[in-house]
Amino acid sequence: MAQSGKGRLNYRCPSCFMRDLDIDMFYDKDRDEYYCIRCQYRGNEADVLAKNRMARFRYGAMMRRFTDFEDFTREDEKA
Amino acid sequence: MDQFIVNIIHRPEMVPEYAEKVTGQGKAEDIGRKALLTESLDIFRLQQQIAHDNGLKTTIQMTYASLFNDEAVAIAKEHHEKYGDEIALSLLGLPCEQFREKYKTKDFCIWMFSMEDKKAIVRDVFGKFHDAFGFYPQSTGSYYMDADLINFIKAEYPSVKCAVATCWEEGPKAYHTCNNSWYTLMDGGPWAPWIPSRQNTHAPAADETEDSGIVAIPHLSRDLLACYDGNGSNFGTHPQNVLRGMIYDPDTWEYPYLYNLIDQYRSLAKFNNGYAYNMMFVGPGWMNKMGRWEAPFELLKKSYEDGCAYYGKLKKEGRLTDMTMAEFADWYRANKHYTEPECALWRDILYGSDKQLFWYCDPYMRACVNMDQGGAIVDLRPYAAKLEWPVGIGTAHVQDASYPFLIQEKYRAGYFTHYAGEGTVRSAKACHNGEEVDLCLCRTHGRFSQEGGDRILTLDPVDIEFSDLTVKLQTVITFPEGTGRIKIERRVLSMSDPAAEVTVNEYMVACYGTTEYPEDMTGLTLAVSAGEKSASIDYEYKCREASAAGAESVSCTLPPIKTKVTMTCEGRDKTGYVREGYAFSPMFTLGYTGTLREKEGFATWLNLERAD
Repeated sequence: MAQSGKGRLNYRCPSCFMRDLDIDMFYDKDRDEYYCIRCQYRGNEADVLAKNRMARFRYGAMMRRFTDFEDFTREDEKA
Repeated sequence: MDQFIVNIIHRPEMVPEYAEKVTGQGKAEDIGRKALLTESLDIFRLQQQIAHDNGLKTTIQMTYASLFNDEAVAIAKEHHEKYGDEIALSLLGLPCEQFREKYKTKDFCIWMFSMEDKKAIVRDVFGKFHDAFGFYPQSTGSYYMDADLINFIKAEYPSVKCAVATCWEEGPKAYHTCNNSWYTLMDGGPWAPWIPSRQNTHAPAADETEDSGIVAIPHLSRDLLACYDGNGSNFGTHPQNVLRGMIYDPDTWEYPYLYNLIDQYRSLAKFNNGYAYNMMFVGPGWMNKMGRWEAPFELLKKSYEDGCAYYGKLKKEGRLTDMTMAEFADWYRANKHYTEPECALWRDILYGSDKQLFWYCDPYMRACVNMDQGGAIVDLRPYAAKLEWPVGIGTAHVQDASYPFLIQEKYRAGYFTHYAGEGTVRSAKACHNGEEVDLCLCRTHGRFSQEGGDRILTLDPVDIEFSDLTVKLQTVITFPEGTGRIKIERRVLSMSDPAAEVTVNEYMVACYGTTEYPEDMTGLTLAVSAGEKSASIDYEYKCREASAAGAESVSCTLPPIKTKVTMTCEGRDKTGYVREGYAFSPMFTLGYTGTLREKEGFATWLNLERAD
């Protein structure tokens, strides 16, 4: 098998990203998969993209636009 | 009228820190690659164009490498003439063939060099700048500028009035995120502009005698909650950092978080006499044509265009003033005074938690109050010590530029939930008939007010439920300007049994350090001051305690960080105590117990001073 390299984009390991580690993955063209040298994650591009979507679960207000930074009234508490 | 000021800074970094490693993958290192130099200049030109298209002026921080490039110098001159951009000088971007050949090193962070090398490099770089432009710069900077470096630059080049001097909470967390390879260890500084003291860059000057002569600005304006908890490089006014954090919709490429971040900074004017500040500084490596991690160039570019467009829109609406760094330094000197604190009541704008923090910074301390933990102090830096902390090769701290903490809830446990030991936090416990409730478990929010020189944080009351008694309790925290003191008062607003009495235990568990790991506590001295009942304990990890009814004060002296922290109390039945820790819990505790009845208050003061 030939040596690995980097892919079209330098995907980071989604598993490590979720523990606040930015680790570039390498691409194994023979197996068409990315793999992490820090942890045991491996997956093809579609899997990486799916896991990257999953990693955003922590950003509960990612798409919310705030207008008042001292109003903590929750939507279900508003009259 | 509120004034929101922005500094937009660009640097023609001919060999961007990230680009050589990222784009050069699979190739032997060659920092003189023509393609790399050409691309870097193209990115700089693009950044300048985006800012100008949005009606914004910039500060061009020339790098050492760019001073060897006639085209970069010509662009700077042209844009200074045409747009009023300031031509400044960065101490970032040192790497280039000429630098490596001359200094025989791959080091690139100015604060990590020996003092001898710092002087040589500064003279070299400033001299080269003068050769190119015919004057010395008014602004400079790096990710961090240690006090000795700033003092040297100010003495040699008095024209310098402004510098990028730290990156907020870029420390062990950033180091870990880079798999322990990115050595920018500089926690514990201000998040907004300040005048650094001559003794320690992170500690603001208290008066003219401590004034280093420059106004410092932070490298980026960072999320005061997210950066404290996680990787700082994901959460700042750096659009590509937001992409790094994957804080955008991958389908629509929208990132409202970036605008929320800018707007929350704008809102801080309410707590700072009408003034708010932002800084945006994107190195060219972040707009790499090869893309950056998951983000293609098109998204990197879009995010920068959107960021500048938002600042530009605010400017057009009269809600933003763009300044160069030197202009800002003049404005700051004219409008701020030494002891004026920087305050930030900050909410979570990313995770949806409703958590709220209050940050306070002045020449005597930096403190963080966590409303989600009942107003506990979860971070405390004793700037009152003005700790001399030389940094760089040949000093005791080659890389570690952080200002030491007394309390740091993320590194040293905070409110304790594990198996054995204690964590650093300043909180209180209410006790009744053998039941105990820590205010750290009382989630609430707070409001800011200012009365004369007092900055006051008034928390919404919380209910403390015992099996046979409910107590409505309110916490009020006061920071009197220019004193190095914090007053914490607990007020019982009502009780389900008006005749009942509760015991209050005001405590501070602390240690010292700059990282997650423990330091040697030997040499610390704990003391209870109570006339003839006074007692002291020299720290030997023996788990000892001392207390005295009516104690005038309890204190700990920490020679390694030249700090003395003292607690005093005004309250019924007060008893002061100190506790030594042990090897598995290398902390110390200062505290007061007392009693509270309905409509009564119990107040303690935390005092910070230099130990010697």
